[in-house]
Amino acid sequence: MFATKTYTSFLLLILSFSVFSQNGDIYGKVKFDNNDIVLGAYVSIKGDRFLKETATGIDGEFLFKSVPYGNYTIEIHSLNAKQKIIQVLVDSNKKSLKITLPYNNLQDLDQVLVKTKTEKRKTEEKGFAVNVIETKEASLRNIQTNELLNTTVGVKIRQNGGLGSHVQYSLNGLSGNSIRIFIDGIPISMYGSSFSLNSIPPSMIKNIEVYKGVIPGHLADDALGGAINIVLHKGTKTNLNASVSYGSFNTIQTNLNGLYRFDDSGFTVKASIFNNYSDNDYKVWGGQIKDIAQDGSQTPITARRFYDAYRSTGGMAQIGFTDVTWADQFLVGFTASEDYKEIQHGAFVTLHPYYGRFSETEAKLANLTYQKKDLFIEGFDVNVTGLYGKRSTVVNDTVAAAYTWAGEKQIRFDGEALNYTWGSQQEGGPTLTTTNRNVASIRTGLAYAINEHHKILLNHIYSGLDRDDSDEMQSLLENTFKQTSDLYKNIYSLSYELNLLEDKLKLNLFGKHYRQKVKNTKPVFNSDGTEVIDEIFESDKDYNGYGFAASYGILPNIMLLTSAEKAIRLPSETEVFGDVAGNVEANLNVKPEISKNYNIGFRFGKFKINKHAFTLSTTLFSRNIEDLIGFGANADRIVESSDELVQYENFDEGTTSQGIEAEINYSYNNNLGINFNFSRLTLESRNRAGNIVDIPNTPLFTINSGLRYSIKNFLQEKSRLNLFYNTYFTDEFSYIMSQGTNVGGLDAFLVPTQFIQDFGLSYTFPKENFVISFDAKNIFNEAAYDNRSVQKPGRAFYLKLNYIINKF
Amino acid sequence: MKHTFLNFKTITLFTAIGLMTACTSDDSDGIEAPTQPEQSERWITVTGARMGTNPADGNGGTLIYAISNEDAKNPETVVDVFNNGFVAPSNRTARLQASEDGNTIFNISYAGDTGGNYTKYTVEGGKDFMPTGSEISIAEYVGTAPRWIKLFDGDQTGSAVYVSTEHQVDDNDTPDDVTDDTYLRTEAKVGVVTLDLVNSSIKNFKEVSVPLNAEEEAAGYYFSRVDMPTLNAAGDKLYISGRLSKVDPTTLESDSGYEILGSKTIVLDYPTLANPKVITSTVGHGNTNGYRSINSFEYNGSVYQANQGDPNGSHILKIGANNEYDDSYVFSLDAALGLEDTYIVAWRPTSHGKAIIAYEHAGSATGSAGKTQGFFALADLNSKTATKLDAIPSSDDLYLYQYQGFAIYENEVYLTVAPVGQDGNIYVVDTETGDVTQGAQLINATGSHFIGTF
Repeated sequence: MFATKTYTSFLLLILSFSVFSQNGDIYGKVKFDNNDIVLGAYVSIKGDRFLKETATGIDGEFLFKSVPYGNYTIEIHSLNAKQKIIQVLVDSNKKSLKITLPYNNLQDLDQVLVKTKTEKRKTEEKGFAVNVIETKEASLRNIQTNELLNTTVGVKIRQNGGLGSHVQYSLNGLSGNSIRIFIDGIPISMYGSSFSLNSIPPSMIKNIEVYKGVIPGHLADDALGGAINIVLHKGTKTNLNASVSYGSFNTIQTNLNGLYRFDDSGFTVKASIFNNYSDNDYKVWGGQIKDIAQDGSQTPITARRFYDAYRSTGGMAQIGFTDVTWADQFLVGFTASEDYKEIQHGAFVTLHPYYGRFSETEAKLANLTYQKKDLFIEGFDVNVTGLYGKRSTVVNDTVAAAYTWAGEKQIRFDGEALNYTWGSQQEGGPTLTTTNRNVASIRTGLAYAINEHHKILLNHIYSGLDRDDSDEMQSLLENTFKQTSDLYKNIYSLSYELNLLEDKLKLNLFGKHYRQKVKNTKPVFNSDGTEVIDEIFESDKDYNGYGFAASYGILPNIMLLTSAEKAIRLPSETEVFGDVAGNVEANLNVKPEISKNYNIGFRFGKFKINKHAFTLSTTLFSRNIEDLIGFGANADRIVESSDELVQYENFDEGTTSQGIEAEINYSYNNNLGINFNFSRLTLESRNRAGNIVDIPNTPLFTINSGLRYSIKNFLQEKSRLNLFYNTYFTDEFSYIMSQGTNVGGLDAFLVPTQFIQDFGLSYTFPKENFVISFDAKNIFNEAAYDNRSVQKPGRAFYLKLNYIINKF
Repeated sequence: MKHTFLNFKTITLFTAIGLMTACTSDDSDGIEAPTQPEQSERWITVTGARMGTNPADGNGGTLIYAISNEDAKNPETVVDVFNNGFVAPSNRTARLQASEDGNTIFNISYAGDTGGNYTKYTVEGGKDFMPTGSEISIAEYVGTAPRWIKLFDGDQTGSAVYVSTEHQVDDNDTPDDVTDDTYLRTEAKVGVVTLDLVNSSIKNFKEVSVPLNAEEEAAGYYFSRVDMPTLNAAGDKLYISGRLSKVDPTTLESDSGYEILGSKTIVLDYPTLANPKVITSTVGHGNTNGYRSINSFEYNGSVYQANQGDPNGSHILKIGANNEYDDSYVFSLDAALGLEDTYIVAWRPTSHGKAIIAYEHAGSATGSAGKTQGFFALADLNSKTATKLDAIPSSDDLYLYQYQGFAIYENEVYLTVAPVGQDGNIYVVDTETGDVTQGAQLINATGSHFIGTF
C-alpha cells in the first residue's frame, strides 16, 4: 500500500515535470513569530494528484519547482510550532510566500519527529535489546561511569566497596564470564584494570551501549549474556574540557580532554588525561565489624576503612587526520594508564581486615583508528581499530601483622602482637606476583549498503593475550617451571541488514564464527639439565553462533522489537589446560557453554499531550545456558584427600534466566523529567540431579527512578539550574540457596532490602562554558550492600567544577 | 514385625493428630501446637547436608534438628531436617561438634565472612538452638577454614591447626641461573591454637616447624595438611595428624603417583604446644588427617587412629602411652572384613573398646549420584576384628564420605542411614550386643544426604 502510494506520487511527479507550460515555482521563507528563522521544518505541498515534500534550509527557505497551476495546500511542521496549513493558488511562474509560525516550546509533531531521531534512538530501534546511555549530562556531575550503568534497566552493578573496587556486571541476571565489556569494540581485558569503567571519566565517553542477550556482529566476542560497549568520543570539533571534583573520603577526580583540528589540512591532535584518587575511608558497621580484645572477646564497633585507597592515572593521545578526503578519522596514538589499589579485605568482610595487601596495574598500548564512509564507492564503509602493547599486574602481600577493624595491630592472648602464621594478609602465604601480558587486538568492520534497503556487514576481531607470571616470594626454580597459557581468538561475523516498508521493518541477521587457540607452555629441563626448554601444546577450536534482531513499527509510535541469538562462551585457558597448582589437569575436549537468548519488547512513544511527553518500553527476556563447565562429582574429595588431578568437563546442567523489564520516561515542558525503571527476573539452574533450583546470591528485583528539574535563568539571565533526585531499590535476596519450608537460622544469610537516595544539582553559567555541580549520595546514610557483608559507602558529598571551551 | 504393626497404627494416629492440630492452630488465636519434644535424657541432633551443584556435595547448607533419644529410637518419629531444621551459619558445610552429653553444639564456621568464628548453641529440641556465651574467633591463628576438634577432656578445650609451607631452594649464589639451582626441602610450619570452650577464650597458640627426615625431605615430601588434634591419656601430649604431599625436586611441580610413606603423626607437649616430634608407623601408610569427622580417639590409655589412602587398605593404628606408634598392634580393616582397599571415612569407638566404622572398599558401587557406596561395620579394638552391620540396609547411594558425627549414649551409637536424595532411618547400634534397631524416619531432599548425629 505504501509502495503504491509512492509509486503514484512518483508517476505524478514525472508527469508534472513533463508538462512544460502552465507551471510555476513556489519560493517561501518561514520564520517564527519571534523573528527566529525556522530551520529544518518539513514542508509539503498537496494538490489534485500532486504531492511534493521538502525541508526548510538554514535561512528558513524552501522551494518547489514546476508546480502546475492550480490550488494547493501547504503544510509546515516544525519542532517548535504547531503545524500550519495554508492554501495557495499557483497562477504565475513564480510565487513567493512569507510564512510566520507561532513559536511554541512544545513539540507538536508526530511522524516528522521520526525524521529527527537521535543516534541513541536509532541504535535502540534496530531490534536489539539495547540501551544507549548518554554520558553528556553525567559527565558534568559527580557520577562514576559504573553508577551511570547501574541506573540502566536490566543492568546490576555489584561493587565490592568504594571507588576502584572490584565490580561485577550483571545483565538480566547473567554475570561474570557471561558478560563481555568493550571499549570501541576492543575487549576491555586488553586494557587491563587501570583503563576500565572504574577509571575512565564519563567525559571521555560519548555513550555506552548495553546489549542484553543478543549482541550485534560488530561486537563479536564469546559472550553468553550480553555486552557493554563503551564508545569514546569521535568528534572532530576543536574543544577543550576540564573538570575537577572533590568530595567525601578525600576523593579527588580530575580530567582534561582536548581536541584541536587545523581546518585547512584536517590535521588533528587529541588528548585526554585523568586522575582519580580516593581514601575510601568510609564508615562500616554491623556483621563482622568488631574490635578484638587481647582475650579474644569481640565488641561490635563502627569502623572506618583504613586501608582502601585507590589511585588511577591515565591518558590517551592521538594524532592524525580527520574529515579529509581519504579518511573520516585516521589517528594513531598511545594509551597509558596505571592504578594502585589497597585491598582492605577479600571476597567477604571478615573479622580481620587486611593491611598491606595491594595491587598495581599498568598498561602501555599503541592504538590505531581508521574510519571512512563511502570509501571508493558510495555505501562502502570501513572501520579499523587496533591496539598493541603491554600490560602488567603486581599483587603484593607480604605483611604478616594482624589488624583489627579498630585499625590497630591485634594483640595475642599472651600480650604480643599477632602475626599470621601464613605470613601474609590473605591466607595462603606471602606473594609478590608480577603478571605481564602482551596484548594485541584489531577489529575490522566493512559495511556495504547495496541501497537504502540492503546492507551487508563483515566484521573480524582478533585478540591475543600472551601471559608470563612470576612470584618474587618464590624461588626462581618454582617460577621457571610454572606453566602458562596464552589465548588467541579470531571471531568473524557476517551481518545482513534489511530495511523495508519505509523504515518500518528493520531486520538484522548475523552469523558468528569463533576460532580460539590456546597455547600452553610447559617449561622443562633439557635432557642433560643444562637448559630450560619450553614444551608447547596447542588446542584449536572453532564454533559457530547466529542470531537476528528485528523491529517493526506497528504505528509510528508503537514499535515491536525482537531478537534472538545462539551465543557461546569458549572454555577459558584453565578450563582447557588446567592449573597444576590447583590440581586441575587439561581437558582438550571441553566444549563451550551455549546459551539460547531471546528478547521481545515493545516501545511506545513518544506520546505527547500538550506539554506532557512520555515513552514506555518493556522487554521480556529469556536466557537458557546449557552444557555448563564444571568439575565432576568427586572432584572436591579428590582434591581434599590426595594429589590426584581433576579436570573441567561439560555437564548436563543449565541456567535459565527469565524476566521482564520496563522503563518509563516522562517529561513536562522540557524542564521536568522523570525516569522510572524496574527489572524482575527468575534465575534458576537445572542441577545435576535434574532438579530446578533457584540460584542464590542474585538480586532479582530492582527499581531505579530519577527526577530532574530544570530552572532557566536562575539568579542570572541565560543560566540554568538542574536539580536531580535518584532512588535505587534492591529487593532482599539470600546468599544461600533456598531451603525447606520451615527452617530456622536463615536471617544470617540475607542481604536486606535496600533503598538508596541521591540528590544532586548542577548550575550552568550564562556563557555555558562553566558548570558547577554538587551531589549528595546515599543521603540517609543507609547500609548498602551489593554483596553479602561488603558494605558500600554511606552518605557522601561531592563538588565538581567543569570548564568547557568549544572555540578558540 | 512387631515394629511394623506399631508403625502403621501410630502413623495413623499421628496423622489424625496432625490434621487436628493443623485445624486448631488455624482457628485458634496463635496458640502454638506443641511441636517441641519433651525434655530429653540425651538430645540426638540429626544433621543433614543439602545439595549444591552436585548430588551429595553438601554445599547447599548444613541443617540440624534435635530429637530426644527415645524419639530417635522410635520408628514412628518423622524427622524432616531439610524442611524444619536450623541452618548452621557457615558458608560451606559447617564443622560441628557436640558436648559429651549432647546438650551443647559447638560450631566453627567454615569459610566466608564468619569463617573461623566459634559459636556455642544450647540444644533445646527441634530447630531451637540458642546461642550461648560470647563469640570468639580462631581465624587469626588458623585461618577462616580451620581444621578443628574438641578434645576429649570433659568439653573443656578445642584445638585447631593450620600448616603453611615454603619450598627452600639453594640458588648456588647465581640468582639468575636456574640450571644450577637445587631444591633443599620444604619448610612446613604448623600453627596450633587451643581454645577454652567454657569461657570462649584463647588458651594458647604456637607455631612449630615439623621437619621430616633428610631423605624424605630431599625426595620432596612435606606435610601439606594437618588436622585432628588429639590429647593422649596422660593429658601431656597433643597428637596432630597429617597428610604428606610431594614435589618433583627438579622442577618443584606437584608430584603424583609417588610412593606412599608410613603414616605420620606430629607429637607436641601439652599444654605448652612445644617440642614437636614426628612419629612414623611401619604398619600403616598414607594420611592420618581424616576428612570431616574425628579420626583419632583415646581409649584405655592409648590413642587409636584410622588412616586413609593406605595402599593396603585402611588400618586402625595405635599410639601407645610412650607417645610412639605401637607397631605390634596390627589392625587391618582389609584383613578383618576380608575385603580389599578398604577406606575408613569416619569412625567412633565407645568407652568399651567397640567401634562403629563407616567405610568404603574396592567393591563399593558408584551410586546414581556418582558417589562411592559406603557401609557400616562394628569393630572391636581389642580383638582387632570387625563385622559388617548387615542389618543396616545397603544401597549404592549410601554415601558416607562426608559423615561427621556419631552420638553415643549408653554404649549405643545413633547412625543416620539414608541413600542420597532418598528417605531413610536412624539406626541405633548396641555396640555391646551388636543389635541394630531401626529408629526414626529421616525425610530427605533431592540430592541431599545425612552426615550423622551429635
